[in-house]
Amino acid sequence: MTKLENLTKYLIAILTGLIVAALYAPIVMTIFFSFYKTRKGMVKWDSFSYEPYTKLIFEKQILESLLNSLYVGGITVICSVVIGFYFANYYHTSKSKMKEFLQFIIFLPFLLPPIITGLSLLIFFREINLPRSLNTVVIGHTIFVLAIVFKIILNKLETLKPSLMESAYDLGASKFQAFWYVLLPNIKLSLIIAGLLAFTISLDETLITLFLIGNDTTWPIKLWAKMRVGFSKQVNASVTLILILTTFLVLLIATIISKSEKRILH
Amino acid sequence: MNFLINYFKSSIWTFLSFTVVILLILIPLASFLSYSFFTVDGLEINHQLSLANYKEFLVGKIYINTLIRTIFLALTVMFSCIFLGYPVAYFLARYAGRFKYVILLMLIIPLFMSYIIKIYMMRSILGYAGLINKVLKMFDLIEKPLEFFLWNQNSVIITLVIILLPLIIIPTFTSLEKIPPNIIEASFDLGCKPFQAFRYVIFPIGFPGLVVGSIFVFILALGDFITPQLVGGTSGFTFGKIIYSNFGLAFNWPFGAALASILLFISVIIILLTNYLTNKLK
Repeated sequence: MTKLENLTKYLIAILTGLIVAALYAPIVMTIFFSFYKTRKGMVKWDSFSYEPYTKLIFEKQILESLLNSLYVGGITVICSVVIGFYFANYYHTSKSKMKEFLQFIIFLPFLLPPIITGLSLLIFFREINLPRSLNTVVIGHTIFVLAIVFKIILNKLETLKPSLMESAYDLGASKFQAFWYVLLPNIKLSLIIAGLLAFTISLDETLITLFLIGNDTTWPIKLWAKMRVGFSKQVNASVTLILILTTFLVLLIATIISKSEKRILH
Repeated sequence: MNFLINYFKSSIWTFLSFTVVILLILIPLASFLSYSFFTVDGLEINHQLSLANYKEFLVGKIYINTLIRTIFLALTVMFSCIFLGYPVAYFLARYAGRFKYVILLMLIIPLFMSYIIKIYMMRSILGYAGLINKVLKMFDLIEKPLEFFLWNQNSVIITLVIILLPLIIIPTFTSLEKIPPNIIEASFDLGCKPFQAFRYVIFPIGFPGLVVGSIFVFILALGDFITPQLVGGTSGFTFGKIIYSNFGLAFNWPFGAALASILLFISVIIILLTNYLTNKLK
């Protein structure tokens, strides 16, 4: 290593540190303000309390929006994993030329600006007279995360040997048995990863939701509405709780990925 | 169970699942494109085809100006992300050693953390009485709080960069990581200077990942309407914001759809162009 290279190494190490700090600054501040009070722009260091967390139980609106978000996330996971698996399997096994076209369509909502996905569904629902509700939000989220779910499952399917399913059929398994006892255990982890990822994305989706939500609110929409009047301590507390949940989910996904990779290596 | 068995037996389901996707993706897109040719009549939508919306876009200078301004904004965000993100990805791939996945994970987690919260907190960081001004004042670097950061173009750019930065780091890292160390060593053995090794060996291999990340950042910055609205002040009037307001208070869905079609057109061209370029590079 030359001196110059050493110097660049340290410089970009510092830059990396600064960027990590900048990315976490807004998050750390939120957590901080859920515990401490400020007066006239100065932090009161002796005001530590976890009261906002206990008071959160009385905030009906926030809790309801949280429950709505969990509902939307849950149904989105089921829909996107089922449809995503179906298309990944189709893409993997089929020889027709339609499949490239299919992949292109699936990737469209993911690649285009979210505003376009949101308003095209909004216009479509209006034309077919479907009132906006949490379920229309589920549809929006499902087609948004479908591309990621599809890709994760497809990547896993492509690592399997074709002989796996063939031998199952040769040994007399029905199509369903081959799926249930052979294919499913092999791709189980990728389904879990895809589902967790879909849930995490759905939990925070704002741009599409804003177009498709009716009178209900999901959690990000509630925050958006609360922003004009400023956040209360309880809002900050709810944010902290959700941050813990998302961090946990991402760490879980990472652990599963690193574990399953090890299993492939050995 | 019978339901599942049938699912894998009959081809009707293949047909149905295609219909579902086409119904939920292609038909909405088509109906939104066709809306752009309609006009609005009070609170009713007039389903007669006309080019009035596009004409209005071309005639009213404000729309084209806003579009150009928004494209420049998105480009600034994209290049800022490249300049900040590339060194980070490079550091992770080459020097971070066994910590690289830990740091990568630390960079991924904020991506999934509330978008609205980040914007809200950026306001209290950048604001007149915000964190940055306070810190600068504490060290006596400034006398009066700076107004440079909030309610203008700068704050939109800074906030978008903070939100979108991980999107450029992750794909760049994954393609840089594929470079085996011995290729770099070989280039040194063959007499490359460090800069040449970077220019002719490392950069071309990492390029596809950089392009994918850049496109994501550009398209998301182009279509974002919440960030500019919430931190941009008067300059928050971006193209995405105009589209959104046509679907809200202004209630001119066809015109909003026409503006969004232009956004769609730009995005599709960029995606196809990138696709073509990356294929050519392979």
